[in-house]
Amino acid sequence: MSYRDVFGEILADHYESPRNFGKIDHPTKVEQGYNPLCGDQVAVSVLVKDAESACPMIDQCSFEGEGCSICLASASMMTELVKGHSREEALQLIEAFRQKMQGAENVPGLPSDTSEEDLVALYGIRRFPVRIKCALLAWTTLKKALDA
Amino acid sequence: MNEIVRKDFPNLERVIDGKKLCYLDNASTSQRPKKVVDATIKYYTQMNANVHRGVYHLSQEATDAFESVRGKIERFIGASSEREIIFTKGTTESINLIASSYGEHHINKGDVIAVTRMEHHANFVPWQQLAKRKGARFEIIELTSDLRLDPKEVDRVLALRPKIVAVSLLSNVTGVVNPISSLAARFKMVGSVVVVDAAQGIAHGEVTIERLGPIDFLAFSSHKLCGPTGVGILWGREALLEKMPPYQVGGNMISHVGDFDSEWNELPHKFEAGTPDIAGVIGFGAAIDYIETQGRVRIESYEAKITEYVLDELKNVPGVRLLGPAEVHHRAPIFSVAIEGVHAHDLATFLDMQGISVRAGHHCAHPLMMKLGLPATCRASFSFYNNMEEAAIFIQALKDSQVFFARKVKPTPITQAQGKRGIV
Repeated sequence: MSYRDVFGEILADHYESPRNFGKIDHPTKVEQGYNPLCGDQVAVSVLVKDAESACPMIDQCSFEGEGCSICLASASMMTELVKGHSREEALQLIEAFRQKMQGAENVPGLPSDTSEEDLVALYGIRRFPVRIKCALLAWTTLKKALDA
Repeated sequence: MNEIVRKDFPNLERVIDGKKLCYLDNASTSQRPKKVVDATIKYYTQMNANVHRGVYHLSQEATDAFESVRGKIERFIGASSEREIIFTKGTTESINLIASSYGEHHINKGDVIAVTRMEHHANFVPWQQLAKRKGARFEIIELTSDLRLDPKEVDRVLALRPKIVAVSLLSNVTGVVNPISSLAARFKMVGSVVVVDAAQGIAHGEVTIERLGPIDFLAFSSHKLCGPTGVGILWGREALLEKMPPYQVGGNMISHVGDFDSEWNELPHKFEAGTPDIAGVIGFGAAIDYIETQGRVRIESYEAKITEYVLDELKNVPGVRLLGPAEVHHRAPIFSVAIEGVHAHDLATFLDMQGISVRAGHHCAHPLMMKLGLPATCRASFSFYNNMEEAAIFIQALKDSQVFFARKVKPTPITQAQGKRGIV
Protein backbone atom coordinates (compact mmCIF):
# COMPACT_ATOMS: atom_id res chain seq x y z
CA MET A 1 0.00 0.00 0.00
CA SER A 2 1.32 3.42 -0.86
CA TYR A 3 0.24 6.99 -0.27
CA ARG A 4 -0.93 7.06 -3.89
CA ASP A 5 -3.20 4.05 -3.34
CA VAL A 6 -5.03 5.79 -0.51
CA PHE A 7 -4.94 9.47 -1.39
CA GLY A 8 -4.57 9.22 -5.14
CA GLU A 9 -2.07 10.37 -7.74
CA ILE A 10 -3.30 13.97 -7.86
CA LEU A 11 -2.87 14.67 -4.14
CA ALA A 12 0.51 12.94 -4.12
CA ASP A 13 1.62 14.99 -7.12
CA HIS A 14 0.66 18.32 -5.53
CA TYR A 15 2.33 17.29 -2.28
CA GLU A 16 5.54 16.25 -4.02
CA SER A 17 5.56 19.13 -6.49
CA PRO A 18 3.69 21.98 -4.86
CA ARG A 19 2.73 24.61 -7.43
CA ASN A 20 3.41 28.26 -6.75
CA PHE A 21 5.56 27.47 -3.73
CA GLY A 22 7.63 30.44 -2.65
CA LYS A 23 7.52 34.21 -2.52
CA ILE A 24 6.22 36.54 -5.18
CA ASP A 25 7.83 39.89 -5.86
CA HIS A 26 6.04 42.90 -4.41
CA PRO A 27 2.94 41.10 -3.15
CA THR A 28 -0.13 43.18 -2.38
CA LYS A 29 -0.65 41.15 0.76
CA VAL A 30 0.99 38.32 2.66
CA GLU A 31 -1.18 36.61 5.23
CA GLN A 32 -0.13 34.01 7.80
CA GLY A 33 -2.30 31.03 8.61
CA TYR A 34 -1.71 28.75 11.56
CA ASN A 35 -3.46 25.71 12.81
CA PRO A 36 -2.47 25.49 16.47
CA LEU A 37 -3.78 21.97 16.86
CA CYS A 38 -1.45 20.33 14.37
CA GLY A 39 1.20 22.98 13.89
CA ASP A 40 0.47 23.53 10.20
CA GLN A 41 1.64 26.95 9.11
CA VAL A 42 1.25 28.62 5.74
CA ALA A 43 1.96 32.07 4.40
CA VAL A 44 -0.18 32.97 1.39
CA SER A 45 0.92 35.85 -0.85
CA VAL A 46 -1.24 37.57 -3.43
CA LEU A 47 -0.54 40.15 -6.08
CA VAL A 48 -3.78 41.95 -6.87
CA LYS A 49 -3.99 44.04 -10.03
CA ASP A 50 -6.34 47.01 -10.36
CA ALA A 51 -6.79 46.88 -6.59
CA GLU A 52 -8.64 50.20 -6.57
CA SER A 53 -10.91 49.32 -9.50
CA ALA A 54 -14.40 47.84 -9.35
CA CYS A 55 -12.99 44.45 -10.31
CA PRO A 56 -9.62 43.76 -8.68
CA MET A 57 -7.88 40.78 -10.28
CA ILE A 58 -5.58 38.20 -8.71
CA ASP A 59 -2.49 38.23 -10.85
CA GLN A 60 -0.34 35.96 -8.73
CA CYS A 61 -0.84 33.78 -5.71
CA SER A 62 1.79 31.71 -3.93
CA PHE A 63 2.30 29.99 -0.63
CA GLU A 64 5.06 28.88 1.68
CA GLY A 65 5.01 26.91 4.87
CA GLU A 66 5.13 23.65 6.65
CA GLY A 67 2.35 21.22 7.04
CA CYS A 68 0.96 17.83 6.32
CA SER A 69 0.42 16.49 2.82
CA ILE A 70 -3.23 17.49 2.75
CA CYS A 71 -2.55 21.04 3.86
CA LEU A 72 0.23 21.54 1.30
CA ALA A 73 -1.53 19.81 -1.60
CA SER A 74 -4.65 21.85 -0.95
CA ALA A 75 -2.66 25.10 -0.84
CA SER A 76 -0.98 24.15 -4.10
CA MET A 77 -4.30 23.53 -5.86
CA MET A 78 -5.78 26.71 -4.48
CA THR A 79 -3.00 28.92 -5.82
CA GLU A 80 -3.52 27.45 -9.28
CA LEU A 81 -7.26 27.92 -9.18
CA VAL A 82 -7.55 31.52 -8.04
CA LYS A 83 -5.01 33.04 -10.36
CA GLY A 84 -6.55 35.08 -13.11
CA HIS A 85 -9.82 35.38 -11.27
CA SER A 86 -11.35 38.48 -9.79
CA ARG A 87 -11.15 39.01 -6.05
CA GLU A 88 -14.90 38.49 -5.86
CA GLU A 89 -14.76 35.19 -7.74
CA ALA A 90 -11.95 33.96 -5.54
CA LEU A 91 -13.92 34.75 -2.38
CA GLN A 92 -16.90 32.87 -3.81
CA LEU A 93 -14.70 29.89 -4.62
CA ILE A 94 -13.24 29.89 -1.10
CA GLU A 95 -16.72 29.91 0.42
CA ALA A 96 -17.93 27.18 -1.94
CA PHE A 97 -14.92 24.99 -1.11
CA ARG A 98 -15.45 25.52 2.62
CA GLN A 99 -19.07 24.44 2.31
CA LYS A 100 -18.14 21.41 0.23
CA MET A 101 -15.47 20.26 2.70
CA GLN A 102 -17.88 20.70 5.57
CA GLY A 103 -20.28 18.26 4.00
CA ALA A 104 -22.46 20.16 1.52
CA GLU A 105 -23.32 18.43 -1.76
CA ASN A 106 -23.64 19.97 -5.24
CA VAL A 107 -22.15 23.31 -4.28
CA PRO A 108 -22.48 25.75 -7.19
CA GLY A 109 -19.21 27.08 -8.55
CA LEU A 110 -17.21 23.96 -7.72
CA PRO A 111 -16.19 21.08 -9.97
CA SER A 112 -18.64 18.16 -9.64
CA ASP A 113 -17.58 14.95 -7.91
CA THR A 114 -17.07 13.25 -11.26
CA SER A 115 -15.09 16.09 -12.82
CA GLU A 116 -11.43 15.54 -13.64
CA GLU A 117 -10.32 18.77 -11.98
CA ASP A 118 -7.52 18.30 -9.43
CA LEU A 119 -9.63 19.85 -6.69
CA VAL A 120 -11.96 16.84 -6.72
CA ALA A 121 -9.13 14.78 -5.19
CA LEU A 122 -9.54 16.81 -1.99
CA TYR A 123 -13.21 15.93 -1.63
CA GLY A 124 -12.11 12.47 -0.50
CA ILE A 125 -10.54 14.00 2.60
CA ARG A 126 -14.05 14.43 3.96
CA ARG A 127 -13.86 10.84 5.12
CA PHE A 128 -11.14 11.92 7.58
CA PRO A 129 -13.12 14.56 9.52
CA VAL A 130 -10.18 15.67 11.66
CA ARG A 131 -8.18 16.44 8.54
CA ILE A 132 -10.71 18.79 6.94
CA LYS A 133 -9.17 21.76 8.70
CA CYS A 134 -5.82 20.80 7.13
CA ALA A 135 -7.41 21.11 3.69
CA LEU A 136 -9.01 24.46 4.59
CA LEU A 137 -6.04 26.26 6.14
CA ALA A 138 -4.63 27.89 2.99
CA TRP A 139 -8.11 28.86 1.84
CA THR A 140 -9.09 30.64 5.04
CA THR A 141 -5.69 32.34 4.97
CA LEU A 142 -6.28 33.60 1.43
CA LYS A 143 -9.72 34.83 2.48
CA LYS A 144 -8.08 36.91 5.23
CA ALA A 145 -5.61 38.30 2.69
CA LEU A 146 -8.42 39.27 0.30
CA ASP A 147 -10.72 40.64 2.99
CA ALA A 148 -8.10 42.96 4.40
CA MET B 1 -0.13 -9.58 33.12
CA ASN B 2 -2.42 -8.16 30.54
CA GLU B 3 -4.24 -10.97 28.73
CA ILE B 4 -6.55 -11.31 31.73
CA VAL B 5 -6.52 -7.58 32.44
CA ARG B 6 -7.60 -6.76 28.87
CA LYS B 7 -10.88 -8.58 29.38
CA ASP B 8 -11.78 -5.97 32.02
CA PHE B 9 -11.80 -3.23 29.35
CA PRO B 10 -14.73 -3.69 26.96
CA ASN B 11 -13.49 -1.00 24.58
CA LEU B 12 -10.27 -2.91 23.84
CA GLU B 13 -12.41 -5.46 21.97
CA ARG B 14 -13.43 -2.91 19.37
CA VAL B 15 -12.79 -3.50 15.70
CA ILE B 16 -12.67 -0.41 13.49
CA ASP B 17 -12.87 -0.84 9.71
CA GLY B 18 -11.89 -4.46 10.11
CA LYS B 19 -8.81 -3.61 12.18
CA LYS B 20 -8.47 -4.50 15.83
CA LEU B 21 -8.22 -1.37 17.96
CA CYS B 22 -4.66 -0.73 19.13
CA TYR B 23 -5.13 2.07 21.65
CA LEU B 24 -1.85 3.89 22.20
CA ASP B 25 -3.12 7.27 23.38
CA ASN B 26 -3.13 6.54 27.09
CA ALA B 27 -1.26 9.75 27.87
CA SER B 28 -4.35 11.63 26.65
CA THR B 29 -6.78 9.49 28.55
CA SER B 30 -6.88 5.88 29.65
CA GLN B 31 -9.56 3.34 28.90
CA ARG B 32 -11.92 2.43 31.76
CA PRO B 33 -12.50 -1.02 33.16
CA LYS B 34 -16.10 -2.21 33.38
CA LYS B 35 -16.02 -1.98 37.18
CA VAL B 36 -15.50 1.78 36.99
CA VAL B 37 -18.39 2.25 34.58
CA ASP B 38 -20.56 -0.03 36.75
CA ALA B 39 -19.81 2.04 39.85
CA THR B 40 -20.97 5.26 38.18
CA ILE B 41 -24.11 3.53 36.87
CA LYS B 42 -24.81 2.13 40.32
CA TYR B 43 -24.71 5.63 41.79
CA TYR B 44 -27.21 6.96 39.25
CA THR B 45 -29.55 3.99 39.37
CA GLN B 46 -29.51 3.01 43.03
CA MET B 47 -28.24 5.89 45.13
CA ASN B 48 -28.86 9.10 43.25
CA ALA B 49 -29.05 11.99 45.71
CA ASN B 50 -26.98 15.07 46.45
CA VAL B 51 -24.12 14.88 48.94
CA HIS B 52 -23.59 16.78 52.23
CA ARG B 53 -27.19 18.04 52.16
CA GLY B 54 -30.09 15.75 52.87
CA VAL B 55 -31.12 14.27 56.20
CA TYR B 56 -32.67 11.33 54.38
CA HIS B 57 -31.23 7.88 53.88
CA LEU B 58 -30.39 8.13 50.18
CA SER B 59 -28.40 11.33 50.63
CA GLN B 60 -26.46 9.77 53.49
CA GLU B 61 -25.62 6.76 51.29
CA ALA B 62 -24.42 9.03 48.49
CA THR B 63 -22.41 11.12 50.95
CA ASP B 64 -20.79 8.01 52.44
CA ALA B 65 -19.92 6.61 49.01
CA PHE B 66 -18.52 9.98 47.92
CA GLU B 67 -16.54 10.64 51.09
CA SER B 68 -15.15 7.11 51.23
CA VAL B 69 -13.27 7.91 48.01
CA ARG B 70 -11.50 10.74 49.81
CA GLY B 71 -10.17 8.18 52.24
CA LYS B 72 -9.09 5.91 49.40
CA ILE B 73 -7.16 8.76 47.77
CA GLU B 74 -5.60 9.68 51.11
CA ARG B 75 -4.27 6.12 51.52
CA PHE B 76 -3.37 5.81 47.82
CA ILE B 77 -0.95 8.75 47.94
CA GLY B 78 -0.10 8.46 51.63
CA ALA B 79 -1.49 11.83 52.72
CA SER B 80 -1.69 12.62 56.44
CA SER B 81 -5.38 13.47 56.51
CA GLU B 82 -8.54 13.49 54.42
CA ARG B 83 -8.56 17.23 55.02
CA GLU B 84 -5.69 17.46 52.53
CA ILE B 85 -7.62 15.82 49.66
CA ILE B 86 -9.63 18.26 47.54
CA PHE B 87 -11.82 17.14 44.67
CA THR B 88 -11.55 19.29 41.55
CA LYS B 89 -12.55 18.72 37.97
CA GLY B 90 -9.04 17.79 36.87
CA THR B 91 -5.34 18.54 37.06
CA THR B 92 -5.86 21.85 35.26
CA GLU B 93 -8.33 23.08 37.84
CA SER B 94 -6.14 21.81 40.68
CA ILE B 95 -3.20 23.87 39.45
CA ASN B 96 -5.35 26.90 38.75
CA LEU B 97 -6.64 26.64 42.29
CA ILE B 98 -3.10 26.81 43.70
CA ALA B 99 -2.09 29.65 41.37
CA SER B 100 -5.23 31.65 42.20
CA SER B 101 -5.59 30.95 45.88
CA TYR B 102 -2.03 30.48 47.11
CA GLY B 103 -0.30 32.41 44.34
CA GLU B 104 -2.51 35.45 44.37
CA HIS B 105 -1.83 36.03 48.08
CA HIS B 106 1.81 35.04 48.37
CA ILE B 107 3.43 36.33 45.22
CA ASN B 108 4.60 39.91 45.04
CA LYS B 109 6.31 42.09 42.47
CA GLY B 110 9.84 40.92 41.80
CA ASP B 111 9.35 37.42 43.25
CA VAL B 112 10.49 34.48 41.16
CA ILE B 113 8.17 31.74 39.91
CA ALA B 114 9.88 28.82 38.17
CA VAL B 115 8.65 26.06 35.86
CA THR B 116 10.47 23.70 33.52
CA ARG B 117 10.67 23.60 29.74
CA MET B 118 8.85 20.27 29.63
CA GLU B 119 5.63 21.38 31.33
CA HIS B 120 2.19 20.74 29.91
CA HIS B 121 0.27 23.98 29.35
CA ALA B 122 -1.74 23.16 32.49
CA ASN B 123 1.38 23.57 34.62
CA PHE B 124 2.83 26.43 32.60
CA VAL B 125 0.16 28.96 31.70
CA PRO B 126 -1.33 29.42 35.22
CA TRP B 127 2.17 30.33 36.53
CA GLN B 128 3.07 32.46 33.54
CA GLN B 129 -0.14 34.43 33.96
CA LEU B 130 0.27 34.73 37.73
CA ALA B 131 3.75 36.15 37.17
CA LYS B 132 2.34 38.57 34.62
CA ARG B 133 -0.43 39.74 36.96
CA LYS B 134 1.94 40.24 39.86
CA GLY B 135 4.95 41.63 38.02
CA ALA B 136 6.89 38.57 39.19
CA ARG B 137 9.85 37.06 37.35
CA PHE B 138 9.00 33.92 35.39
CA GLU B 139 11.89 31.50 34.99
CA ILE B 140 12.06 28.37 32.87
CA ILE B 141 14.43 25.56 33.80
CA GLU B 142 15.91 24.44 30.48
CA LEU B 143 16.67 20.87 29.40
CA THR B 144 19.66 18.84 28.27
CA SER B 145 19.94 17.54 24.70
CA ASP B 146 18.13 14.34 25.70
CA LEU B 147 15.36 16.51 27.17
CA ARG B 148 15.97 15.89 30.86
CA LEU B 149 16.24 18.73 33.37
CA ASP B 150 19.64 20.35 32.96
CA PRO B 151 21.45 20.24 36.36
CA LYS B 152 23.16 23.57 35.58
CA GLU B 153 19.77 25.13 34.95
CA VAL B 154 18.44 23.72 38.21
CA ASP B 155 21.40 25.34 40.01
CA ARG B 156 20.82 28.64 38.25
CA VAL B 157 17.15 28.76 39.23
CA LEU B 158 17.85 27.56 42.79
CA ALA B 159 20.15 30.54 43.24
CA LEU B 160 17.20 32.81 42.41
CA ARG B 161 15.30 31.38 45.42
CA PRO B 162 11.94 31.05 43.67
CA LYS B 163 8.82 31.47 45.78
CA ILE B 164 7.13 28.73 43.77
CA VAL B 165 8.60 25.97 41.63
CA ALA B 166 6.17 23.94 39.52
CA VAL B 167 7.40 20.75 37.92
CA SER B 168 5.86 17.66 36.39
CA LEU B 169 6.65 14.21 37.70
CA LEU B 170 6.65 12.86 34.18
CA SER B 171 6.62 14.61 30.80
CA ASN B 172 3.59 13.93 28.66
CA VAL B 173 5.67 14.54 25.52
CA THR B 174 8.89 12.67 26.17
CA GLY B 175 8.02 10.30 29.01
CA VAL B 176 10.98 11.68 31.00
CA VAL B 177 10.68 10.99 34.73
CA ASN B 178 11.94 13.83 36.92
CA PRO B 179 13.83 13.22 40.18
CA ILE B 180 11.18 15.00 42.26
CA SER B 181 12.37 14.03 45.75
CA SER B 182 15.89 15.40 45.30
CA LEU B 183 14.60 18.49 43.48
CA ALA B 184 12.01 19.13 46.18
CA ALA B 185 14.61 18.75 48.93
CA ARG B 186 16.89 21.30 47.27
CA PHE B 187 14.13 23.81 46.56
CA LYS B 188 12.80 23.51 50.10
CA MET B 189 16.25 24.57 51.32
CA VAL B 190 15.83 27.91 49.55
CA GLY B 191 12.25 28.33 50.79
CA SER B 192 10.30 27.46 47.63
CA VAL B 193 6.81 26.04 47.63
CA VAL B 194 7.02 22.92 45.43
CA VAL B 195 4.07 22.09 43.16
CA VAL B 196 4.08 18.70 41.40
CA ASP B 197 1.95 17.98 38.35
CA ALA B 198 1.40 14.22 38.41
CA ALA B 199 -1.23 14.09 35.65
CA GLN B 200 0.98 11.62 33.75
CA GLY B 201 3.03 10.35 36.64
CA ILE B 202 0.10 9.01 38.63
CA ALA B 203 -0.52 6.33 35.98
CA HIS B 204 3.03 5.00 35.88
CA GLY B 205 4.25 3.78 39.21
CA GLU B 206 3.79 4.17 42.91
CA VAL B 207 3.21 7.87 43.51
CA THR B 208 3.16 8.68 47.20
CA ILE B 209 3.93 11.85 49.13
CA GLU B 210 6.68 10.00 50.94
CA ARG B 211 8.40 9.00 47.70
CA LEU B 212 8.01 12.49 46.23
CA GLY B 213 9.79 14.08 49.19
CA PRO B 214 9.14 17.47 50.76
CA ILE B 215 6.63 18.73 48.20
CA ASP B 216 3.76 21.09 49.05
CA PHE B 217 1.11 20.45 46.40
CA LEU B 218 0.28 17.52 44.14
CA ALA B 219 -2.24 17.58 41.28
CA PHE B 220 -3.61 14.74 39.17
CA SER B 221 -6.69 13.58 37.26
CA SER B 222 -8.92 10.55 37.50
CA HIS B 223 -9.22 9.97 33.77
CA LYS B 224 -5.59 9.07 33.19
CA LEU B 225 -5.84 6.41 35.89
CA CYS B 226 -8.79 4.43 34.50
CA GLY B 227 -11.33 6.68 36.25
CA PRO B 228 -14.05 8.92 34.80
CA THR B 229 -13.31 12.27 33.16
CA GLY B 230 -14.16 15.49 34.99
CA VAL B 231 -12.60 14.53 38.33
CA GLY B 232 -9.23 15.57 39.66
CA ILE B 233 -7.37 15.78 42.94
CA LEU B 234 -5.47 18.52 44.63
CA TRP B 235 -3.40 17.44 47.57
CA GLY B 236 -1.80 20.14 49.69
CA ARG B 237 -0.11 20.32 53.07
CA GLU B 238 -2.80 21.07 55.63
CA ALA B 239 -0.96 24.04 57.12
CA LEU B 240 -0.81 25.73 53.70
CA LEU B 241 -4.41 24.89 52.76
CA GLU B 242 -5.63 26.29 56.08
CA LYS B 243 -4.11 29.67 55.32
CA MET B 244 -5.37 29.85 51.74
CA PRO B 245 -8.54 31.74 50.83
CA PRO B 246 -11.28 29.92 48.88
CA TYR B 247 -10.88 29.52 45.13
CA GLN B 248 -14.58 29.67 44.31
CA VAL B 249 -17.37 30.75 46.61
CA GLY B 250 -20.98 29.59 46.83
CA GLY B 251 -22.73 26.49 48.08
CA ASN B 252 -21.14 23.80 50.29
CA MET B 253 -17.97 25.80 50.98
CA ILE B 254 -19.51 28.13 53.59
CA SER B 255 -20.17 27.67 57.29
CA HIS B 256 -22.20 30.85 57.71
CA VAL B 257 -23.51 33.43 55.26
CA GLY B 258 -24.54 36.81 56.59
CA ASP B 259 -25.90 39.76 54.65
CA PHE B 260 -22.54 41.41 54.25
CA ASP B 261 -19.95 38.74 54.97
CA SER B 262 -19.52 34.99 55.11
CA GLU B 263 -17.44 32.42 56.89
CA TRP B 264 -15.83 29.43 55.22
CA ASN B 265 -16.43 25.77 55.78
CA GLU B 266 -13.51 23.72 57.08
CA LEU B 267 -11.04 21.76 54.94
CA PRO B 268 -11.45 20.23 52.46
CA HIS B 269 -14.94 21.63 51.79
CA LYS B 270 -13.65 25.21 51.77
CA PHE B 271 -12.31 24.46 48.29
CA GLU B 272 -15.29 22.50 46.97
CA ALA B 273 -17.98 24.97 46.00
CA GLY B 274 -21.12 23.61 44.38
CA THR B 275 -22.35 20.08 43.72
CA PRO B 276 -19.37 17.93 42.72
CA ASP B 277 -19.25 15.22 40.05
CA ILE B 278 -20.56 12.62 42.52
CA ALA B 279 -20.79 9.75 40.03
CA GLY B 280 -17.33 10.61 38.72
CA VAL B 281 -15.78 10.59 42.17
CA ILE B 282 -17.44 7.27 43.02
CA GLY B 283 -16.15 5.88 39.70
CA PHE B 284 -12.69 7.15 40.57
CA GLY B 285 -12.90 5.22 43.82
CA ALA B 286 -13.58 2.06 41.81
CA ALA B 287 -10.61 2.90 39.58
CA ILE B 288 -8.31 3.25 42.61
CA ASP B 289 -9.53 -0.16 43.85
CA TYR B 290 -8.86 -1.60 40.41
CA ILE B 291 -5.32 -0.18 40.22
CA GLU B 292 -4.57 -1.42 43.75
CA THR B 293 -5.71 -4.91 42.74
CA GLN B 294 -3.33 -4.87 39.79
CA GLY B 295 -0.58 -3.47 41.98
CA ARG B 296 1.31 -0.33 41.15
CA VAL B 297 4.73 -1.94 41.47
CA ARG B 298 3.64 -4.74 39.17
CA ILE B 299 2.28 -2.22 36.66
CA GLU B 300 5.55 -0.30 36.74
CA SER B 301 7.73 -3.34 36.11
CA TYR B 302 5.45 -4.57 33.32
CA GLU B 303 5.53 -1.15 31.64
CA ALA B 304 9.32 -1.10 31.90
CA LYS B 305 9.38 -4.23 29.72
CA ILE B 306 7.29 -2.50 27.07
CA THR B 307 9.54 0.56 27.26
CA GLU B 308 12.64 -1.58 26.84
CA TYR B 309 11.16 -3.39 23.87
CA VAL B 310 10.05 -0.21 22.08
CA LEU B 311 13.37 1.57 22.74
CA ASP B 312 15.27 -1.44 21.35
CA GLU B 313 13.09 -1.77 18.28
CA LEU B 314 13.09 1.95 17.48
CA LYS B 315 16.85 1.72 17.02
CA ASN B 316 16.17 -0.49 13.99
CA VAL B 317 13.76 1.92 12.32
CA PRO B 318 15.83 4.28 10.18
CA GLY B 319 14.83 7.94 9.89
CA VAL B 320 12.94 7.98 13.19
CA ARG B 321 13.82 10.62 15.75
CA LEU B 322 12.75 9.70 19.26
CA LEU B 323 12.40 12.63 21.65
CA GLY B 324 13.96 12.15 25.06
CA PRO B 325 16.38 9.69 26.59
CA ALA B 326 17.00 6.25 25.13
CA GLU B 327 17.54 4.57 28.52
CA VAL B 328 14.63 2.76 30.09
CA HIS B 329 15.25 3.92 33.66
CA HIS B 330 14.75 7.59 32.82
CA ARG B 331 11.38 7.25 31.16
CA ALA B 332 7.84 5.94 31.06
CA PRO B 333 6.27 4.18 28.02
CA ILE B 334 5.49 7.44 26.20
CA PHE B 335 7.22 7.76 22.83
CA SER B 336 7.12 10.92 20.73
CA VAL B 337 8.57 10.32 17.32
CA ALA B 338 9.26 12.45 14.30
CA ILE B 339 9.93 10.77 10.98
CA GLU B 340 11.98 12.65 8.45
CA GLY B 341 9.84 13.85 5.58
CA VAL B 342 6.56 12.68 7.09
CA HIS B 343 4.28 15.14 8.83
CA ALA B 344 2.98 13.95 12.20
CA HIS B 345 -0.64 14.26 11.11
CA ASP B 346 -0.09 12.25 7.95
CA LEU B 347 1.63 9.61 10.06
CA ALA B 348 -1.23 9.58 12.57
CA THR B 349 -3.80 9.13 9.80
CA PHE B 350 -1.71 6.30 8.35
CA LEU B 351 -1.51 4.62 11.77
CA ASP B 352 -5.25 5.15 12.27
CA MET B 353 -5.82 3.27 9.02
CA GLN B 354 -4.11 0.30 10.71
CA GLY B 355 -6.36 0.68 13.76
CA ILE B 356 -3.61 2.34 15.84
CA SER B 357 -4.74 5.35 17.91
CA VAL B 358 -1.92 7.79 18.60
CA ARG B 359 -1.80 11.50 19.31
CA ALA B 360 -0.32 13.86 16.75
CA GLY B 361 0.37 17.49 17.43
CA HIS B 362 2.08 19.62 20.01
CA HIS B 363 0.71 17.69 23.03
CA CYS B 364 -0.23 20.92 24.86
CA ALA B 365 3.45 21.71 25.27
CA HIS B 366 4.10 24.65 22.93
CA PRO B 367 7.07 25.99 24.90
CA LEU B 368 8.90 22.66 24.50
CA MET B 369 7.94 22.10 20.87
CA MET B 370 8.97 25.63 19.87
CA LYS B 371 12.32 25.15 21.56
CA LEU B 372 12.81 21.89 19.64
CA GLY B 373 11.72 23.56 16.41
CA LEU B 374 9.13 20.85 15.85
CA PRO B 375 5.60 21.85 14.84
CA ALA B 376 4.25 18.43 15.76
CA THR B 377 5.20 14.90 16.68
CA CYS B 378 3.40 11.60 16.78
CA ARG B 379 3.09 10.15 20.26
CA ALA B 380 2.40 6.56 21.21
CA SER B 381 1.73 6.08 24.91
CA PHE B 382 1.23 2.67 26.49
CA SER B 383 -0.61 1.47 29.55
CA PHE B 384 -0.47 -1.74 31.57
CA TYR B 385 -3.28 -3.22 29.47
CA ASN B 386 -1.34 -2.85 26.24
CA ASN B 387 0.55 -5.95 25.16
CA MET B 388 3.78 -6.69 23.34
CA GLU B 389 1.83 -7.57 20.23
CA GLU B 390 0.54 -3.99 20.11
CA ALA B 391 4.05 -2.64 20.62
CA ALA B 392 5.19 -4.79 17.67
CA ILE B 393 2.26 -3.57 15.53
CA PHE B 394 3.29 0.02 16.28
CA ILE B 395 6.93 -0.59 15.32
CA GLN B 396 5.97 -2.38 12.12
CA ALA B 397 3.58 0.43 11.18
CA LEU B 398 6.38 2.99 11.63
CA LYS B 399 8.52 0.96 9.25
CA ASP B 400 5.68 0.66 6.75
CA SER B 401 4.96 4.37 6.94
CA GLN B 402 8.32 5.18 5.41
CA VAL B 403 7.50 3.14 2.33
CA PHE B 404 4.01 4.60 2.27
CA PHE B 405 5.17 8.20 2.37
CA ALA B 406 8.29 7.88 0.21
CA ARG B 407 8.34 10.91 -2.11
CA LYS B 408 10.62 13.13 -4.09
CA VAL B 409 9.96 16.80 -3.56
CA LYS B 410 10.34 18.94 -6.64
CA PRO B 411 8.68 22.36 -6.28
CA THR B 412 7.54 24.01 -9.48
CA PRO B 413 8.18 27.69 -10.24
CA ILE B 414 5.57 30.34 -9.55
CA THR B 415 3.72 31.24 -12.70
CA GLN B 416 1.75 34.30 -13.66
CA ALA B 417 -1.95 34.36 -14.36
CA GLN B 418 -2.70 33.42 -17.93
CA GLY B 419 -5.67 35.68 -18.31
CA LYS B 420 -8.32 33.15 -17.37
CA ARG B 421 -11.58 34.59 -16.26
CA GLY B 422 -14.82 33.28 -14.86
CA ILE B 423 -15.31 30.84 -12.08
CA VAL B 424 -14.37 27.17 -12.55
